[in-house]
Amino acid sequence: MAKKIMVVDDDPDIVEYLVSIFKERGYVTCSAPDGESAMGVLEREKPDLLTLDLEMPEEWGPRFYRKFSQKPEFKDLPVVVISGLPGIHLAIRKAIATVNKPFEPANVLGIVEGAIGKP
Amino acid sequence: MRVLIVDDEAGIRKVVGITLADMGFTVFEAASGDEALAVFERERPPVVLTDIRMPGMDGLELLRRIKAISPETEVILVTGHGDLDMAVAGLKLDACDFIAKPVGPDVLEIALRRASDKIALRERLKSHTENLEELVRQQAEQLVGLERECAAKGAVEGLTQLIGGVAGDVESGLGLFNGLPCLVSIQDRGQRIVSVNQLYRERLGDRVGQLGYAVYAGTSASPTESPVGRTIATGQGQKSREALFGPDETLSAVMVHTAPIRGVDGQVDLVLELSVDAGEVQRLQDELRATRQRYQQLFDEAPCFITVQDRHLRIQAANRRFRNEFGNRTGGLCYEAYCGTGRPCFGCPTIRTFEDGQSHQCELIVRGKDGEPVNVVVWTAPIRNEAGEIEGVMEMATDITELSRMQDHLASLGMLIASLSHGIKGLLTALDGGVYKVNAGFRASDQAMVQAGWGKVTELIGRIKGMVLDILFYAKKRELQLREVEAAQLAAQVAETVAPKADQLGVDFVREIAQDLGVFSVDAVVLSAALVNILENAVDACLEDHAKEKHQVFFRVRPDASGVFFEIEDNGIGMQPETLARLFSVFFSTKGSRGTGLGLFIAKKAVDQHGGRIGAVSEPGQGSTFRIWIPR
Repeated sequence: MAKKIMVVDDDPDIVEYLVSIFKERGYVTCSAPDGESAMGVLEREKPDLLTLDLEMPEEWGPRFYRKFSQKPEFKDLPVVVISGLPGIHLAIRKAIATVNKPFEPANVLGIVEGAIGKP
Repeated sequence: MRVLIVDDEAGIRKVVGITLADMGFTVFEAASGDEALAVFERERPPVVLTDIRMPGMDGLELLRRIKAISPETEVILVTGHGDLDMAVAGLKLDACDFIAKPVGPDVLEIALRRASDKIALRERLKSHTENLEELVRQQAEQLVGLERECAAKGAVEGLTQLIGGVAGDVESGLGLFNGLPCLVSIQDRGQRIVSVNQLYRERLGDRVGQLGYAVYAGTSASPTESPVGRTIATGQGQKSREALFGPDETLSAVMVHTAPIRGVDGQVDLVLELSVDAGEVQRLQDELRATRQRYQQLFDEAPCFITVQDRHLRIQAANRRFRNEFGNRTGGLCYEAYCGTGRPCFGCPTIRTFEDGQSHQCELIVRGKDGEPVNVVVWTAPIRNEAGEIEGVMEMATDITELSRMQDHLASLGMLIASLSHGIKGLLTALDGGVYKVNAGFRASDQAMVQAGWGKVTELIGRIKGMVLDILFYAKKRELQLREVEAAQLAAQVAETVAPKADQLGVDFVREIAQDLGVFSVDAVVLSAALVNILENAVDACLEDHAKEKHQVFFRVRPDASGVFFEIEDNGIGMQPETLARLFSVFFSTKGSRGTGLGLFIAKKAVDQHGGRIGAVSEPGQGSTFRIWIPR
């Protein structure tokens, strides 16, 4: 079964963009528009990798990260931070990579493949 | 002349009195010595004619008494037969003469004439004596005058020697006169030049030893008509207008003054000749006028308000710009003209300059003619008199209203960009997504996908366009977008943003956020950015410090009666007082190329815009504490 990537971003256009990039490469995807609803999606879909925006309404990325990373099953879930905030590379310490918006699709795909391999 | 006749016989008194009256005398009579003395005391006649033999006081006794009172009174004794001894005794008592009875008119006349002559002689003698005294006084004065003249001659001699010495000093020439804008020469009796000053040498050549009048045109070019020649002839200083031949045969007009220098013998030994070049004077005057004009122009046109003030801050002069903006306030008080207040501004730089003679600077907001506030930077400079005392202070106030506006503007722009950059990046990313979709549609020959992608691109371009227009609009003025926000939530989010960085860098980040903060109406984006900025600075300050083993940043938030109080404390490197003073200035950074110099400036503006307060205290090597208060 193809590996699953979950996209968390409050901008639906960006969600669609990332999803289509991953889909075209052959990954399975799922998504959430904010930190609060993301928890349910995460538990239901159990993705192999998560891309996370930092600044979102309701609940910010870092808080959502802390919440789910406390659960043992998601403790080692690889996270790629994709954000427009300056100085974000330290916001989530365990993130495997931090990508600034706007990004190069090939760059993001390279990071994902490096983390979880080909679909 | 008045005469007193003394005789005990009335007949004789009458006869003699008639005779004397006929001779032109004014006559007084007395019948006894005692009566005679009384009349004498009253009338003081210069001549007394008295009988020797009288009852009571006799003539000799009367003579003695009168001589005792007035030695100059002449007394003539009248004697009878056999009275010769008494007459001789009378002469011994300084009687003038004696007449034998009976008294004939001739004898009387002779005796009285003799007495008158004696009196006149004595008067002349007296006058001579007095004249002699006057003469002595005159002579003495003459002597003193002569003495003075001698002393003056001595002084002149000294001066001559001195000038001779100066003239003889080949090294310096007439160095004393070199600063003067005139041609100076010293000439001897033969009108040969002994010495000249530098300007003379430059203009006319070194003519020492040559004839001084050779430089003049016309009749003055002769030994008798030259200024120096006339000085020697008259012994007086001369003053005349002359024409002077330059070395290139050009003529120039000069004013010539001469002064004789006398030797010991009173003769004119040397003549000092000063020629003031009228052209030179004109040139200097022109230069002075031009300098003054330039100064006035500079004073008036300098792009700032310039005033000169006295010790009481009274305006003594003001330039055109000042007059245009604040009216003609010459003679008025500085603080009245600038601020309309009744006392000097706090920390007045002009007063400080009067105190210490140094330049001082300050920023002030003053009121222009139309009441509009004008931001000025004031610089002062002392004006000293020749004695070096501070006579006035020049105050230059530069209008920085525009600059202040630009600063505010920049701050708004900075906050705008901070708040929009995330959105812009999101939009650009989404645009990439749309383009990606169009490309993917083309690759898959999926017309619908191309359509959808293109729709996305069009929509996003529309949004970007709107946002750019917003920026251009907001760039003029950024209004706060106030919303009711839970203060604790905002603080928590700010902390969340900074905590990972602190953790990563090994700085202990301690949050002490009270939960009863309530809501406040703020622009969350702007305020968060300000707080994050200060917190990140605190972490950076800890990294800079290598002296302490453990570093901590405290983020304390607590409510007070009317607002929310934020405190950010670190035990990092701390700040020097001069850094502290400029902390919130635009483009001031201690981080070199890593800093923009905008962070704290914008933070302060953000706090100001919320009507809050921001301040910082710091101890070098110990750490810093920032305190921010935002009203509810």
